[in-house]
Amino acid sequence: MNPFEKNLLGDYIRNETRRQFFARGANVLGGAALASLAGGAFAGQADAAVDPKLLHFAPKAKRVIYLHMVGGPSQLDLYDYKPKMGEWYDKDLPESVRMGQRLTTMTSGQKRFPIAPSKYKFKQYGKSGMWVSEMLPYMQKMVDDVCFIRSMNTEAINHEPAISYMQTGNMVTGRPCLGSWASYGLGSMNDNLPTFVVLVAKPSNTEQVQAISARLWSSGFLPGEHAGVSFRAGADPILYINNPDGVTPEVRRRTLDGLKQLNEMTFKRVGDPETHTRIQQFELAYRMQSSVPELTDISKEPQSTFDLYGKDAKEKPGSFAHSALLARRLVERGVRFVQIYHNNWDHHGNLTGRMPDQCRDVDQPCWGLIQDLKRKGMFEDTLVIWGGEFGRTIYSQGGLTKENYGRDHHPRCFTMWMAGGGAKGGVVHGETDEFSYNIVKDPVHIRDFHATVLQLLGFDHMRFNFRYQGLDARLTGVEPARVIKELIS
Amino acid sequence: MSGSCSTRFCKLGLVGSLGLILGLSTSIANAAAPAPSTTKIEFNRDIRPILAENCLSCHGPDSASRKANLRFDKRDNALELEAIIPNNPGASEMIARIETTDRDQVMPPPKSKKKLTKEQKDLLKRWISEGAEYQPHWAYIPPKRFPAPSVKDASWAKSPLDLFILAQIEKAGLKPAAEADRHTLARRVALDLTGLPPEPADVAAFINDKSPNAYEKLVDKYLASPRWGEHRGRYWLDAARYADTHGIHFDNFREMWSYRDWVINAYNKNMPYDQFSIEQLAGDLIPNKTIEQQVASGFNRCNITTNEGGAIAEEYSVLYTRDRTETTSAVFMALGANCMVCHDHKFDPITQREFYELAAFFNNTTQAAMDGNISDTPPKMFVPATSDRGRWAALSAELDTFRRDLDTRKKASRADFDKFLAGSNAQSLKALAPAKEQKFHATIDAFEAGSPKRGNGPILEMADVGDFERDQKFSYGCWIKPVKRNTGGSVIARMDDQHDFRGWDLYMEGGKIGAHFINKWPENAVKAVTTTEIPHAKWTHVFVTYDGSSKFGGVKIYFDGKLQPATPQADTLSQTMRTTVPLKIGERHSSTSRTADGVLIHDVRTYSRLLPSEEVSMLAGSTLALSLIEKPADKRVAADVDTVFNWWVDHFDAQAKAIRAKLATVESEEAAIKSRGTIGLVMNERTEPAMAFVLFRGDYDKRRDQVKPDTPDVLPAMPSDFPRNRLGLAKWLFLPEHPLTARVAANRMWQEIFGTAIVRTSADFGAAGELPSHPELLDWLALEFRDGGWDMKKFYKMLLMSATYRQAETVTPDKVEKDPSNRLLSRAARFRMDAEMVRDYALATSGLLVEKLGGPSVRPYQPDGVWEAVAMIGSNTRDYKRDQGEGLYRRSMYTFWKRAAPPASMDIFNAPARELCTLRRERTNTPLQALVTLNDTQFVEAARVLAEKTLKSGGDSTDSKIDFIAQRLISRSFRPEEVTVVKASFDDLLKHYKAHAGDAKKLLAVGDYKHDAKLDEPTLAAWTMLTNELMNLDEVLNK
Repeated sequence: MNPFEKNLLGDYIRNETRRQFFARGANVLGGAALASLAGGAFAGQADAAVDPKLLHFAPKAKRVIYLHMVGGPSQLDLYDYKPKMGEWYDKDLPESVRMGQRLTTMTSGQKRFPIAPSKYKFKQYGKSGMWVSEMLPYMQKMVDDVCFIRSMNTEAINHEPAISYMQTGNMVTGRPCLGSWASYGLGSMNDNLPTFVVLVAKPSNTEQVQAISARLWSSGFLPGEHAGVSFRAGADPILYINNPDGVTPEVRRRTLDGLKQLNEMTFKRVGDPETHTRIQQFELAYRMQSSVPELTDISKEPQSTFDLYGKDAKEKPGSFAHSALLARRLVERGVRFVQIYHNNWDHHGNLTGRMPDQCRDVDQPCWGLIQDLKRKGMFEDTLVIWGGEFGRTIYSQGGLTKENYGRDHHPRCFTMWMAGGGAKGGVVHGETDEFSYNIVKDPVHIRDFHATVLQLLGFDHMRFNFRYQGLDARLTGVEPARVIKELIS
Repeated sequence: MSGSCSTRFCKLGLVGSLGLILGLSTSIANAAAPAPSTTKIEFNRDIRPILAENCLSCHGPDSASRKANLRFDKRDNALELEAIIPNNPGASEMIARIETTDRDQVMPPPKSKKKLTKEQKDLLKRWISEGAEYQPHWAYIPPKRFPAPSVKDASWAKSPLDLFILAQIEKAGLKPAAEADRHTLARRVALDLTGLPPEPADVAAFINDKSPNAYEKLVDKYLASPRWGEHRGRYWLDAARYADTHGIHFDNFREMWSYRDWVINAYNKNMPYDQFSIEQLAGDLIPNKTIEQQVASGFNRCNITTNEGGAIAEEYSVLYTRDRTETTSAVFMALGANCMVCHDHKFDPITQREFYELAAFFNNTTQAAMDGNISDTPPKMFVPATSDRGRWAALSAELDTFRRDLDTRKKASRADFDKFLAGSNAQSLKALAPAKEQKFHATIDAFEAGSPKRGNGPILEMADVGDFERDQKFSYGCWIKPVKRNTGGSVIARMDDQHDFRGWDLYMEGGKIGAHFINKWPENAVKAVTTTEIPHAKWTHVFVTYDGSSKFGGVKIYFDGKLQPATPQADTLSQTMRTTVPLKIGERHSSTSRTADGVLIHDVRTYSRLLPSEEVSMLAGSTLALSLIEKPADKRVAADVDTVFNWWVDHFDAQAKAIRAKLATVESEEAAIKSRGTIGLVMNERTEPAMAFVLFRGDYDKRRDQVKPDTPDVLPAMPSDFPRNRLGLAKWLFLPEHPLTARVAANRMWQEIFGTAIVRTSADFGAAGELPSHPELLDWLALEFRDGGWDMKKFYKMLLMSATYRQAETVTPDKVEKDPSNRLLSRAARFRMDAEMVRDYALATSGLLVEKLGGPSVRPYQPDGVWEAVAMIGSNTRDYKRDQGEGLYRRSMYTFWKRAAPPASMDIFNAPARELCTLRRERTNTPLQALVTLNDTQFVEAARVLAEKTLKSGGDSTDSKIDFIAQRLISRSFRPEEVTVVKASFDDLLKHYKAHAGDAKKLLAVGDYKHDAKLDEPTLAAWTMLTNELMNLDEVLNK
């Protein structure tokens, strides 16, 4: 007996999907919610584009590439030019500036807080006249495409809580990250790759690499399919993507055909819709097996591509340059959100010894990525974000010379930038005091930043929520957050 | 049951519905239909959800966000302010405000983005016109024994619990499914009780067992299996957030698997749930606590910790306390306590102050905030192996006696020693050092030397020294003083590190001392490493003796003349270790990375015989004595004089020697026990009374009132004779009138078996959680559990004996319509197994599973780079080095759990990171999961091993072989139409591998387990891939 005629089954799954969707619909807008219920993790083939009715606003960005500089890059040596500090060399930071704010225990015991002016030369560039350090020659060429925020701030003072805050809106681990929210709200644009991909780039210098962990791309309380899928450099970019040795795609296809027939018999006999979903997931897995090698094979990229990103993109798998190129290939194939982590920005000491490698790793590839997106016609609707989890102190940690110094964590101000995807090029937003210690104009808290990014994706951060423990949980949390309109084109 | 019975049930059913007024809802949470206009409005079912969703965030328990001082969670307040006037909706302000079109007046306010539907408004009006009766939240009312409801087909029931289930099935116009086939039942019971599939023989035995209690015997059999404790413990470890690393920043190794063993053993002993809980919450506070009880207190040590440079200790201490409070609240009471960290709970009548009163119970530990990046962060205790525990208890008394005796004797002999020392000179002392067959002696550095006398080369190089073979006895050593921390390298070596590392050496790894004897590293070598360390910045005499046996057991390492416990890191030496390179002091032959950097070396000796311990001690003592007398008496360091005195007493005072001999026996016994044992991370209370501060917005640096430990007012009061500590708190949970403890536990046990709990939000019984699908059943179960002595095996058995459990899984269109998500349990619960079960299933069906109970964590197959991608350089869990042999095939609950990168294949199947307490895992269905079971070496190897077994034991025909596999994978035979598909697959696979023998060879090489070379490779490859296909069946992956 087969109680499940084809139509009945289809109706059943559709009904079940709709029912579940609407059950959650009260607190959810996402196209993905619908799409993923219909087909599992990366499904949504039928809904390749998000139904605009589900969004709060017309989206400016369809996809995001977020470049997180782990460790907290020094705003003082890259973007936040403080010319007067030269005169303050080795003088103590005035108490009137520090105002008793808390310090990490790495420097709270220091007897002095001597000012370390940046060793680097700064010049103004572009129409906006943004000051950029000599360490970033490629950035100098594109300031008018970029929207700088010099007044980012956070309360977190150590890496673990600070990265978590930046990525999930909460210092305590366990919340969904920005990429998961985007995946949840926007869903997939392809039928053979994940929606949200994470790339952990290898820095060329590893003197003071900070911890990161899979929790940073966890989906928290959102459904698990919205967790980031980590792509790795090398032979198996996605875990277990490769067939075992001695198993050709034909053999795999043959076993999947048999499996499918048997599972369909089970489905007919038992009628569990999850069986049907499972059949689809095995097929999707098979499609991923063929699309991922194509995705990661950069050998067919023209030389002009490598001219953009630099030779590391070609020669050093896993480098930031290579990851940036992969990010472009991912979004080009319909991946919604790509997160790249680049490490070793935690410059407590030997800052000037380490900064050159760091900047060389990322400067050209960031430029290259933006040129490449432009070339592909994707710059307008792809949001690129660059930044760390906090800034660094004007005063030196440990030994100080004019040539070299270290800087401790500084949550009270730091610089981030955005480009493309509705971020207004040529904007320089926010201002810090002459010590780059406190913000004097237009502060942008992490919450404000998140609210702004969500706005660019088409969501009102107040209404973009998920029912969790009886509350409508939001990326921006319960404290007031504000969309920074000045950053939006 | 007879017809009259059902009439009786019918009447009792009315009594049951009277119970509703007392505060229990009968609605199914996710299918709650509003009350039809003919039935009375019920607050908990009809009104509370509307208020919680739309009103309570501004007019509820949270005083900080409360508007107009009006609250709808308290009837008195709402009536007093005339927001509600019972029986008069027209005059009630609430109704006026929800009905108005004035944007400034309307409720909920437009900016809240909340809106009431017409139905909701009508319900509120009807409720007020019916008198606006409130009910307390169901979960805070103690459970009550409801009579079983009346049903049409009472004969279906095998347990009272079935009547509760059946009543609702019937109410929906459905019938339960028929009882499942015996093979299905056998598989289901085995999986639910042991987490493993049944042996085919056990399935057959059950099918053929005609006795009336055959099923019960089956249940009892699996309940008695030691695998039961592992399976149940595995769920508990999610709740306890157990893992093998600290979790934050360095995420270094944390050694507390003794706690995991405790959990497994507690389940296997069927420890009652009250004792099980009390020992975990307060094992350290129980009078006359045992080792086991203290290990159990590790429950509160499983939280994540940090040692990040720059971290502020108080901030983390607050976080740890918070995590412990939240975990205990969630696990035992399903209270979502984390909201109250920052503010009064929006929906539940628990205040922020009460949260910190609860937190005070956990805020009194001696544990430091920084974990030190060490595996054994205090407070900790030594945990002997189970078999050693009796002897361990007696040992310390014996040691005390002998040490006292020795002390007494020593005091008496001090004058003799002074005479000896005064009468000694360099020559007399040098003569004491063993000289027989001494082959080499170099005094390199003065004892008090400040820095090593070398640049980038060895201190000394001798071509003709130390040319020993593996079958020769020899001994060697020197004085060592590490002046750098965490240093290492070769101290003495005759080793050709460019050619297989052939040779021997004395090696330092941190403070540990190793000795290599190598033909070819690592496959043909012996390596012994001490488990103890030599002290930093202090001279230690280190000596190795080797008995020519080519075995680890033939190597002894001494510090200051005392034998040290050591572990083998290689024990496979079987060929020559002679090499032509010279002996070098301070490094190996050619490498620069293996030099002993920052180590001072002195007095190197080699002997071409095995020095007995007596002589090793004589060597250590006499050389130290020599250094002593080279100085004037007033310049001698007192500690050195004492050391030499101790040595002298041991060797030259007959009485002391006799006592020492006895002591040494006991001490070596102690050392042996220590080397077999592990440690437990435990709780330890400060002496002062517990307290905590209310923290504004939960911020550690915004302290408000100081509060004492106390329990929330909405729950029963804590009796005054209970201690105000964790022990008192634990006992309070088990007060008979406690409304939550039994319900929460019963609900979670139900969840394990039926996939979805009666209160689906099993971690939240509060107002924001879902209502129970079967409230009266939940109460009945809770009381059965409580009154049955908290007997867990009995409780699970009750579930498994029920007719509800024994149903077939068949879905009908009618059921799809009326019970789509099976909340009514109108058929068997069918769901994908948890991560561990999926992997264990493959291991068990292939026969690879190593059924060893307990012990340290293991490292099975994992793709390269999973740890490295996220770990910090310097983290000791950065490099994943997988095990060889049995470590690859242990049950998944023993897999090393690194929090920053949980076991990769299990992570994909929704295993949590174990950073926080998890009471309900997600259950997704994704392509990444398909990739694991298709391609993971663990699964491919298991398929191949099962295929191999099939070829050997599965009979001669293809049919019999296919059946052999089916019996193992799905505990049944394939149906004829399935066999056709399976055979077609096999034929194609065989054709392929016959044509591509090279592929077959490659496939068979996957995994460490060697295949039988006698089998035809293409044939085995085809069966391997067929098994791989079948191991991915939906039916295999589902319970």
